[in-house]
Amino acid sequence: MITAGCDVGSLTSKAVIIRDGRIIGSAIIRSSSRPEISAQKVMDEALEKAKISQSGVEYCVGTGYGRDNIPFVDQARSEIACHARGAVWLAPATKTIIDIGGQDCKAIRLDKNGRVEKFLTNDKCAAGTGRFLEVMAKLLGVSVDDLGKMSKKSREPVTLASTCTVWAQADVIQYINSGIPVEDVGAGVNNAMAGRVATLANAVHAQREVAMTGGVAKNAGVVRSLEKLIGHKVTIIRKADPQLAGAIGAAVLASDVKEGRA
Amino acid sequence: MNPIFEEAADHVDNQVIREWKAQGKKVIGHTCSHVPEEIISAAGMMPYRLRGIESESTSIGDTYFGPFICSCPKAILQKAGEGAFNFLDGAVMVQSCDSMRRLDECWRAANDDYPGILPGFWHYLGVPHKAVDYSLKWFSEEIEMFKKHIEEHFNVTITEENLRKSITLYNETRDLLKELDEVRGMENTPVSGQEAMNIILAGTAMPKEVYNPLLREALDELKARPAHHGGKKRILLGGSVVDDQSLISVIEAEGAVVVADTVCFGSRSFEGMVPEDSPTMLTIAGRYLHHQFCPRMFGHYKDRMALIKQKMELAKVDGVILQNIRFCDLHGSENGLFEAELESMGVPAIRLEREYGAMADEGRLRMRIGAFLESIPERRTEKPAA
Repeated sequence: MITAGCDVGSLTSKAVIIRDGRIIGSAIIRSSSRPEISAQKVMDEALEKAKISQSGVEYCVGTGYGRDNIPFVDQARSEIACHARGAVWLAPATKTIIDIGGQDCKAIRLDKNGRVEKFLTNDKCAAGTGRFLEVMAKLLGVSVDDLGKMSKKSREPVTLASTCTVWAQADVIQYINSGIPVEDVGAGVNNAMAGRVATLANAVHAQREVAMTGGVAKNAGVVRSLEKLIGHKVTIIRKADPQLAGAIGAAVLASDVKEGRA
Repeated sequence: MNPIFEEAADHVDNQVIREWKAQGKKVIGHTCSHVPEEIISAAGMMPYRLRGIESESTSIGDTYFGPFICSCPKAILQKAGEGAFNFLDGAVMVQSCDSMRRLDECWRAANDDYPGILPGFWHYLGVPHKAVDYSLKWFSEEIEMFKKHIEEHFNVTITEENLRKSITLYNETRDLLKELDEVRGMENTPVSGQEAMNIILAGTAMPKEVYNPLLREALDELKARPAHHGGKKRILLGGSVVDDQSLISVIEAEGAVVVADTVCFGSRSFEGMVPEDSPTMLTIAGRYLHHQFCPRMFGHYKDRMALIKQKMELAKVDGVILQNIRFCDLHGSENGLFEAELESMGVPAIRLEREYGAMADEGRLRMRIGAFLESIPERRTEKPAA
C-alpha cells in the first residue's frame, strides 16, 4: 500500500511517500506564496524520487498552514496530530514531542495510547521559532547549520535579554560590536531559543521519552541546552530527517485511515 | 428565526433602537453586567450594553489607552470616536476591571479631540469587588445616587411601581434565557452556538419589553425544530467577554457545537434574580453584588468553577475552551486554574489568548481550535464530573 503526506509549512513544504511502512520518497522545498503550488511542486519531487506517479498514491493526508489549499489530498489534519503521529512512528517510546518549525513551536504530550493529550503552541510571534534562528544566523554571518555547532565551541555563552526577534537582534549587534567571540553570541542565541521552547515543554509537563521534530532538531546547540532546561534527554530522530516528521505523520495517518485504524 | 436577532447581534445600531429613538425615547449605554439595568428601564429608558463590534482598527483607542491593555475598551472607544454611539443619551462607566475603568477618562479625554462624542448624561458607578455586609451597603448607596442622578438629569421620577414592573420584566428575561440554555444543552441540540449567541446578544441591544416576546417566539420555534447538531463535539466556551459570533463561528466551522458558555454577555449574565416583593436599593444591590461569575469579584473562584461544572453537566459537554482577551489578568489567571482542575477531572480543556474583535487573529486560533477538537476522543467514556 502506498500513502502520502504533504506538509505545507510557512517556510518550507515537505512531502513523504510511504510504501508498506517504509519511506520510499521525500522532498523539502522552500514554500512559495501559493500553498497549492508549493504542495504540487514538493509532491512531484517526492513522487519522482519514489519513482511512482500521483495515481499510484492510494491516500494522501495534508497538513500545515496551507493544508486547506492542497488540491490533491483526501483529508486535511492538524499539524499537532501529524507531528504526534510522525514522532511515534519514528520513535515509538515517545511521550512528549517538541516541534520547532519555521514560524511556530509546539510541545505535545501523549497519553499511553499515543493520543494527543495536551499541546501548547507559541503565540503569534517569532520568538522560539526557526525564523528566529535564521535571522540570527544571518546577522552572525554563518549558516543555520554552523550556528548549531557554535554551542560546542563556545566557552562563555552570552545571555540575550529578550527572545523577541527584533530586540534580540539589537542585543546580538551590541555583542558583536563590543568584540565578543561570535561562538559565544551564537551559543547565546541557541540558549535563548531553548529557553523559550523549554517553557512550553515544561507547561505541558514533558515526560520521557522526549522527541524533537521540526527543522530546529538539527541544531545540536539548541538540543543540548533544552535537555538541561527540561531535565530530560531529548531523542534525536535518526530514522529520517526530523524536518519531515509532520509529513511522515500525515503519510502514516493516511495508511491508518486505509487500514481502518483511524 | 427572526432576522432582528442577527441584525441586533452584528451591528452597533439596529431597527428596534431606531424605532425607540423615533418615539423620542432615551437610550443609556453601559459597560458591565453589574449595572442594575432595572433602574434605567424603570425610568422609561432603554439600557444598552456597549460593544466595540464592527471596529476595523483601534487607531483612536490606541491613542488614549496604553499599549498593554485589553483591546475591548479600546474598540469601544474607537466606535465612540467614530461617532457610532452618538445615538446615546447617556452612558454609565464602571470599574469592572482596570482596563474598563480607564474607558471613563479615555472617553472624556477623546471628547476634546472628537467633540460631541460624550453623551449628555455621564455617570460613574462604583461596584465593590467584594460582597460583604459593608460593601453591600455601599453599593446600595451607589445605586441610590445613580437613580437620583437619572431623575435629576432627565427630570423624571422612578416610582416604586415602575421599579417593581421593571424587576418583573428583567426576571422574565432571565427565566426565558435560562430556557434557551436548556434548549442549547439538549442532546442533538436544535440550535447552534452562533445562533444562541445572536439571540442572547440581541437582548443587550433592545428594550426588554420588545425583547421578551421575541425571545418567547424564538424559543417556541427552536423547540419545534428537528434536532440537527447530532454527532458533533459539544463544547463549553468560558472566559472573558464574547460579544459577537465570530469566535463561536470558528469553533463551529471546525465541526463542533458550542452548547454552553460562561462568558460575559453570554449565559453567566442571566444567573440570579432580583426579589420582586418590596424592592429597595439594597435588594437590587444584593442581586448584582452576589452575581460573582466575573473574576473581578474577589474570593469566588469555587463558585465560578461550580458554575462551569453545572453547565457542563446540563449540556453534557465533551471539552472546554477557555479564552481571554490579551492582557486580561483576571480571566487569564483564572483560566489557568480552571484548565488544571478540569484536566484533573479528565475533561479536555484548552486556554486561548486572543485579541478582541471579529477574528483579529483567526488563522492562529483556527489552527489551535482544530487541533484541540481533533484531540478530544470521539466518544468520551468519562461522564462530565459532578
